[in-house]
Amino acid sequence: MIPVKAIALAAALALPTLAAAQDAKDAVEARHGFMKMLGINMGQLAGMAKGEIAYDEAAATLAAANIVALTQYDAPALFVEGTSSEDMPESEALPAIWENPDDFRASFVALREAAAGSPDAVKGGQGNLGPVLQKLGGACKNCHDDYRKDD
Amino acid sequence: MAGGAAHRERIWDPALRVFHWTLAVLVIANWLLGKIGPSDMTLHFWLGYGVIALLVFRLVWGFVGPATARFTRFVRGPRAVVSYAREMIHPHPTYWPGHSPVGALAVVAMLGVLALQVTTGLFADPDDYINVGPLASTVSSETSRMALRWHNRGADLILILVLLHWAVILFYRLWKREDLVRPMIDGWKWVRRR
Repeated sequence: MIPVKAIALAAALALPTLAAAQDAKDAVEARHGFMKMLGINMGQLAGMAKGEIAYDEAAATLAAANIVALTQYDAPALFVEGTSSEDMPESEALPAIWENPDDFRASFVALREAAAGSPDAVKGGQGNLGPVLQKLGGACKNCHDDYRKDD
Repeated sequence: MAGGAAHRERIWDPALRVFHWTLAVLVIANWLLGKIGPSDMTLHFWLGYGVIALLVFRLVWGFVGPATARFTRFVRGPRAVVSYAREMIHPHPTYWPGHSPVGALAVVAMLGVLALQVTTGLFADPDDYINVGPLASTVSSETSRMALRWHNRGADLILILVLLHWAVILFYRLWKREDLVRPMIDGWKWVRRR
């Protein structure tokens, strides 16, 4: 076989693998961005609840609405095969996700349900933030406990 | 064996006994709260602060408390540890008046691991915005993440130490026919000076 042809063939064979690797990287980056956005809005609510940020009804409502919007996104779909913490160093997603896909999805639905109604629930004063945060944070924790690496 | 006849002596003072049983209750309760407790970990935090207070007391008591409580009295060198370990395997009581040289290692390990556990707990951040350690915001997110990791591993270490503690107590009770639990309740133990 002519070397050039061999190289072309090797490249052609490798292309799907390269594409898959790029897909995997994109998925992990998207996940991290997704969590970051959740975190920024959770941080806003938590900061106001603790009094580190002055309570602002409009800002609290907006942060809660952002969380609702984020939980409408189908985030579990970003957890594609081959992107666990054992496949990629930058991933913190435990292989348990792929062993219990239904439960993992249910954990995300639980966050969506915790977020439902929160834009209205945070209105009316700083004291109303606590119960909302407990629900949202509890959903974060439950999923992190089972499916996030080392915690 | 050298030494006179065994006699009963009050080796554990009341404060040390209260310390021991309070610590036992708090550690077991907090271990369970950490593993299977509610997602709101407020109680876990408060019990943790209780453990800090107990550890501070024990540290102070180890310097100013009665003789059997003092670190300088019961923490011994390798020769004493090996010598006691040889004697320990025999099926009869050692009548030791306090923490034995081998037991001292367990005491130091337990206090050390618990000190690490409360420290990592103060700095841990599980990214749930409700159970964040009170000092987590004073360090970088990498550090608070590492604190969380070591807090989780620390729970396993504590489990191992507690199970070892219970196993050795059973070993003394069944093999050596020496009761170590009763003295920690009423303070009195059969001892022999040597």
